[in-house]
Amino acid sequence: MNFLRTLAFVLFLAFFSAATVGSVEIEISSPGEQTIPLAITPLLPIDGVKQGIAEEFQQVLENDLDLSGLFDLVDPASFLSDAKKLTLSSTEVDFTQWRLLGAEAVLKGGYRFEGEKMIFELRLYDVISRRLLTGRRYIAKKEDVRRIAHAFADQVLLSLTGELGPFSSRIAYISNRSGQKELYLMDVDGNKPLRLTAHRSIVLNPDFAPKRKELIFTSYKEGNPDLYRKEIYTGRESRLSLQEGLNIGGRYSPDGREVALTLSKDKNSELYLIGTDGSLHKRLTKHFGIDVDPSWDPDGNRIAFVSDRRGNPHVFIIDVHTLEVTRLTYEGKYNATPAWSPKGDRIAFSRLEGREFNIFTINPDGSDERQLTFGPGSKEHPRWSPDGRFLIYSLDRDGNKAIWIMRADGTGARRISAPGGDDTHPAWSGRW
Amino acid sequence: MQNWSTRLLLMLFVLTLLVAGCAKKPVAEEAVVEEKAEVAVVEEQPTAAIVEEQVDEAAAARAAAEEAARAAEAAARAGLARIHFDFDQYLLTDTAKNILENNAKLLKAAPVVKVKIEGHCDERGSDEYNLALGEKRALATMNYLVSLGVSADRLSIISYGEEMPLDPAKTEEAWAKNRRAEFRVVL
Repeated sequence: MNFLRTLAFVLFLAFFSAATVGSVEIEISSPGEQTIPLAITPLLPIDGVKQGIAEEFQQVLENDLDLSGLFDLVDPASFLSDAKKLTLSSTEVDFTQWRLLGAEAVLKGGYRFEGEKMIFELRLYDVISRRLLTGRRYIAKKEDVRRIAHAFADQVLLSLTGELGPFSSRIAYISNRSGQKELYLMDVDGNKPLRLTAHRSIVLNPDFAPKRKELIFTSYKEGNPDLYRKEIYTGRESRLSLQEGLNIGGRYSPDGREVALTLSKDKNSELYLIGTDGSLHKRLTKHFGIDVDPSWDPDGNRIAFVSDRRGNPHVFIIDVHTLEVTRLTYEGKYNATPAWSPKGDRIAFSRLEGREFNIFTINPDGSDERQLTFGPGSKEHPRWSPDGRFLIYSLDRDGNKAIWIMRADGTGARRISAPGGDDTHPAWSGRW
Repeated sequence: MQNWSTRLLLMLFVLTLLVAGCAKKPVAEEAVVEEKAEVAVVEEQPTAAIVEEQVDEAAAARAAAEEAARAAEAAARAGLARIHFDFDQYLLTDTAKNILENNAKLLKAAPVVKVKIEGHCDERGSDEYNLALGEKRALATMNYLVSLGVSADRLSIISYGEEMPLDPAKTEEAWAKNRRAEFRVVL
């Protein structure tokens, strides 16, 4: 219910809604190759009454935009007089000053209070063409400062790349910080962690429903590893699949109508499709080997999965309609946890070499394999952001497991989950 | 008869001598030895109820059998040893088979005992893959016990994958310890 209230801020498209097509559009798929010099000015009080929320807003927004890899932030120490002026219209901005500093875009804004309500006016200007790229007004409660910053970061990415950012979505993960493995939810920057389960057992491997605010996961709560479904806002929870043996690795189909998972009711792990009522729809694999870790392609026609049918664990792809199986990975001796990108163009997976996993991506036809992570520690469980810009994963290093985020090309890696427990198995929600 | 009266006379004579001897002892010179009366408190014990049982040889046999079953169960609880596996393997090693042969003996001696076989893995490998692998280990263990004559309906399996390591260290020794099947008596 907390989140419901938090979400209850109203989004207003401000003036010039047609101005989303910027003059500085850049290639989305190659962050880091071309960066935009961006000046983020401190928020100013519209009615002159300072409220100490500008700092938190700026920190959240800067962190998001820095993570995107699309920007070079202009040093605030060099800002001139225009940074101290509240200019909510492009005609008032002194673009010459910003040009002088080399900024190509400038972000400005103000806030004011109306009783309990907090009103943010936010603007992104194109310095070169001297016009508004995107303008937004947010009306919310005071505790929603971070939400507004994330929402505007998403808009900034939309106006500059043509695609919304993922910063308003959520990340589910498994943590043992209560003593047992339970399901948690947090913001994309690791803030506002919230425990969702109290099973006092072992909770594993969550996945978000594509359209509803709902998660599936495996839990030993009733002794057997069963698949559970949980509505996030109501907290309502039920067992979705309780076949004898394993009910693990559940993944919603892109249309949300089915769940692919591993069942071992045949005394061997096989991939199945079940309905959202738990009924068995279709057995996908028939092999004495281990078949686990399904991940749907965004069209819902194919599923990448892990099998040891050729000896070592490798990633295979099965056609959901014809049940034809093709092998995806040939390199390495242990490839696991495939994650098909939301655009369908890449499949991320982790490869065990020696004692440690690293994260790789590969084309669905098996070409162009690339290693994304290097260095000490084991990196597992890669999952994509809903826009395909980022990957989250768990890093096991120095006896501690934490959730990390990086860009899809492996750059910009940083820790997001807070210290205080072992955090694994992240899953990224769809648009929230 | 003669003998008896002679003995009586002799005894009377000795007795007379003794009495006479005592009487002659001076009494006044004796120090007064006050002996503490040793009062032994004898608490009255309730009389033990008399248990009257019909002697039933079958019951005695049953009790003995129950005792034996309890002993066998205790032996099974204490004696069922875990087995270990090679990396990414669920085939039973010769060592594991030897241990299972002993486990089968213990289980056959304790026919009421039911056992849940837990399959476990080391932390390397994907969690899901390890859940499946742990199940294969438990299943291989169960099948071998069944082949040795343990009734299948006394055995059940569960996999915990890499979730319950015996040793959390990241060493070859710890990993070898953690790749295992355990026996939990569930009755």
